[in-house]
Amino acid sequence: MRNMMFAIMLGTAAGMAQAAPPLGLPPVPVPADNPQNPAKVRLGEKLFHDKRFSSTGEVSCATCHQREKVFTDSPLRVSRGIRGLTGTRNAPTVVNAAYMHTLFWDGREPDLEGQAGQPFLNPVEMGLKNYDPILEVVRSDRQYRKLFKQAFGLEPKQITMRHVVQAIASFERTLVSGDSPFDRWYFGGDEKAMSEQAKRGFKVFLGKGRCVSCHTISQTHALFTDNRFHNLNVGFARIDKDVRELAVAFMQARKKGTSVDVAVLSNKNTSELGRFAVTGEWRDMGAFKTPTLRNVARTAPYMHDGSLETLEDVVNFYDKGGRVEDDDPVNAFQSGGIRPLNLSDDEKADLVAFLEALTSPEYAKK
Amino acid sequence: MNTLSRRSFLKRGAGAAIGGLLPLSLVEVAFADKRRNFTFAYISDSHIQHIKGNQFVRNWDRGLIRAVAETNLMDPKPDFVMYGGDLAQLGTKAELDHGLELLGALRPHTRFVMGEHDYYLDLGEYWSKLLGPQYYSFDHKGVHFVVLNSILTYDKWINKWSTPEERMNVMAGLDNPLGSPFMVGAKQRAWLKQDLAKVSKDTPVVVFSHSPLQKIYKGWNFWTEDAEQVQALLKPFKQVTVFYGHVHQIQYNQIGNISFYSAMATAWPWPYPATYNQKPSHLPKLTVEMNRADPFFERDATGWQFIDVWSGRATVHYSLPENTPRTVAYNPKTRRPEDTRYQKKRIPPQKHY
Amino acid sequence: MKRTTILLSALLLAAPAAADEFTEADLKRWQAEFQTVVKRGRAAFTDPKLGSNGVVCAQCHPNAANTHPETYPKFQKQLGRVAELWEMVNWCIQNPLEGEPLAADDPRMIALQAYINWERRGAKLAPGKH
Repeated sequence: MRNMMFAIMLGTAAGMAQAAPPLGLPPVPVPADNPQNPAKVRLGEKLFHDKRFSSTGEVSCATCHQREKVFTDSPLRVSRGIRGLTGTRNAPTVVNAAYMHTLFWDGREPDLEGQAGQPFLNPVEMGLKNYDPILEVVRSDRQYRKLFKQAFGLEPKQITMRHVVQAIASFERTLVSGDSPFDRWYFGGDEKAMSEQAKRGFKVFLGKGRCVSCHTISQTHALFTDNRFHNLNVGFARIDKDVRELAVAFMQARKKGTSVDVAVLSNKNTSELGRFAVTGEWRDMGAFKTPTLRNVARTAPYMHDGSLETLEDVVNFYDKGGRVEDDDPVNAFQSGGIRPLNLSDDEKADLVAFLEALTSPEYAKK
Repeated sequence: MNTLSRRSFLKRGAGAAIGGLLPLSLVEVAFADKRRNFTFAYISDSHIQHIKGNQFVRNWDRGLIRAVAETNLMDPKPDFVMYGGDLAQLGTKAELDHGLELLGALRPHTRFVMGEHDYYLDLGEYWSKLLGPQYYSFDHKGVHFVVLNSILTYDKWINKWSTPEERMNVMAGLDNPLGSPFMVGAKQRAWLKQDLAKVSKDTPVVVFSHSPLQKIYKGWNFWTEDAEQVQALLKPFKQVTVFYGHVHQIQYNQIGNISFYSAMATAWPWPYPATYNQKPSHLPKLTVEMNRADPFFERDATGWQFIDVWSGRATVHYSLPENTPRTVAYNPKTRRPEDTRYQKKRIPPQKHY
Repeated sequence: MKRTTILLSALLLAAPAAADEFTEADLKRWQAEFQTVVKRGRAAFTDPKLGSNGVVCAQCHPNAANTHPETYPKFQKQLGRVAELWEMVNWCIQNPLEGEPLAADDPRMIALQAYINWERRGAKLAPGKH
């Protein structure tokens, strides 16, 4: 909360200037056609919390992305929309999503603006048939009229969905946080900022754990994601036997106009196709985007289907080469980066301690 | 920040599908005569490597497993699979058995090309017992296919070793200075001559060979000693295509009437010969190199191929799990193979090896 | 004349009196010492016991090709920071070869680096190049 206020204050003071990024993060990328301004951010936050943009009036973006839960709906495995309808995937955090090159677990949208527009029309999320109800509200509501005028200089009838999603994206671009114990130690030079156990865990992260190649860090900042897609063997077993039939049927349906967004959230099997559903390329079969690890200790459960409950479960999963049980089968499309790790119990505990050191102060458990 | 514009992003998403799952309309554009056009899969260089007991090098196993699984995704099914050689690493029974077990999951019928790693332990004895002749020909939908054993060498070299293991180990080292150049040999050239005598000059001919049937770099046996003589036998034919393995990288070339395409390995990539700056080499200038990304991902710069044969010519689709897929196709205008995307404009990864 | 020649020859044959002098023989000997270690490096480069799964460096790097020692130190993605050649050699030993890393001054590590650099002699320094 404090960081965001700080950012807005700086923004107000310096006009269009971007606030300095938090420790451990690079400057937030802002698209040229959607510059930040304080009114737009306030507008975006209001839109983000507005339940009127759902068919039953129950659901807003904040329903699945709650600030107290680091903008997720932890501990839900998969999200719940209107009438308690469940989807197939775990709600990712919005915090630091501004640095992502693509949005959603399968990267089906190229930017925050694109992502913001989809849940409104998904039958298991907000359940609207089209954007008309949203445009009705924003063009007639007095508060919105004022904010759209301030943010974009628009008259009510000029407001379009493009402006709505741009405002939401603008708000989301202020949700960046670093300055974790790890950042203060690694980038800030404070030797006492992170525990000795977490420091050992960092060595595992860089070495035997083989984490850093996908959960990347660099000399001056750490995003903890390569922005690429990998098949870890999390839920693929449910479609492994029939993957050819499923893939062929899905591609044919897509050719006929089926929405990828609707299909992957309404059917557990289709969901397992991962990025393949978006690109149609075999190399994306069952692959999902590497999430950031920032604040990971607060955003359980884990993986695209929320199937791993704790960080210990996650570390064990990787340690066994992408398995929950020792004799689980591994699918043929699993990423070549995953393999059994043979970590000792100490190494596993140290690694978890390191992951816990990635929580930013504003999201730390009270 | 991602510089992809929204429209180009969506366009890429919709049209990027490859393989048998391409919208049929895109594939049919290239096909002139539907009866004679077909697709086959080409998997090569798996180098299944035995450690001990029933342990094999996991990395190479996974490469072959992936190629087989992707081949099985092809819709429609390819007409057949050609395995390009070097199934085993040291030619042992354990390796050949394990490799054939992994290949057993393939839906279409599979034929085989001999590789030096399969051959030099027992001179192909176990291989032939399981898989038949080491060189042969067959016809399919109007195309005459020839499979050569092009990794033979001088008898003197073969006979000078004290044990078969020693001979295999020397030949197994790509850069081993004690190795010996590959060849097809006089006996097989004679067989080829009389096999081709029955084929009309207008019939498309496709040759499978493990060694390149060209002279690219002798130090790593990217070389066939009697390449010119073999090429001469193929010269009278209007449409000839040679597919070869061994090099573990993308190469393609046109020599006279013959188009050459290499296969990627499912196991591991090899650097281009020019990266060994102590000796000169002759990679075909036409070739746009494969990408090398990050060896952390075991499938970096590895993969397999599926090949559309249309009117006797070839379009080679390289399916690469960790890299951007590549398509190298015969261009009837320029009469040579060209990369359909990068022939004129190379990108940084293609100069980095 | 003869006395001067004998004196000069004596001077040339004598061991260098000053620390900054060395002879052709010294140069030859030091090169030979180096080549001994290069040979040991080649042996380690092709040793199936370097890792735990029988894979050897030469399998992916014939004649040490594509090791580009002239580009170190450089930002190494697999390590998340700027690193030196020996650290990447260890990465290969631990990952594709599934073995245990060597200390920077382990004679085998020194030998590996000697071999790798020898096969790449003549390449211009290009530190940081990806």
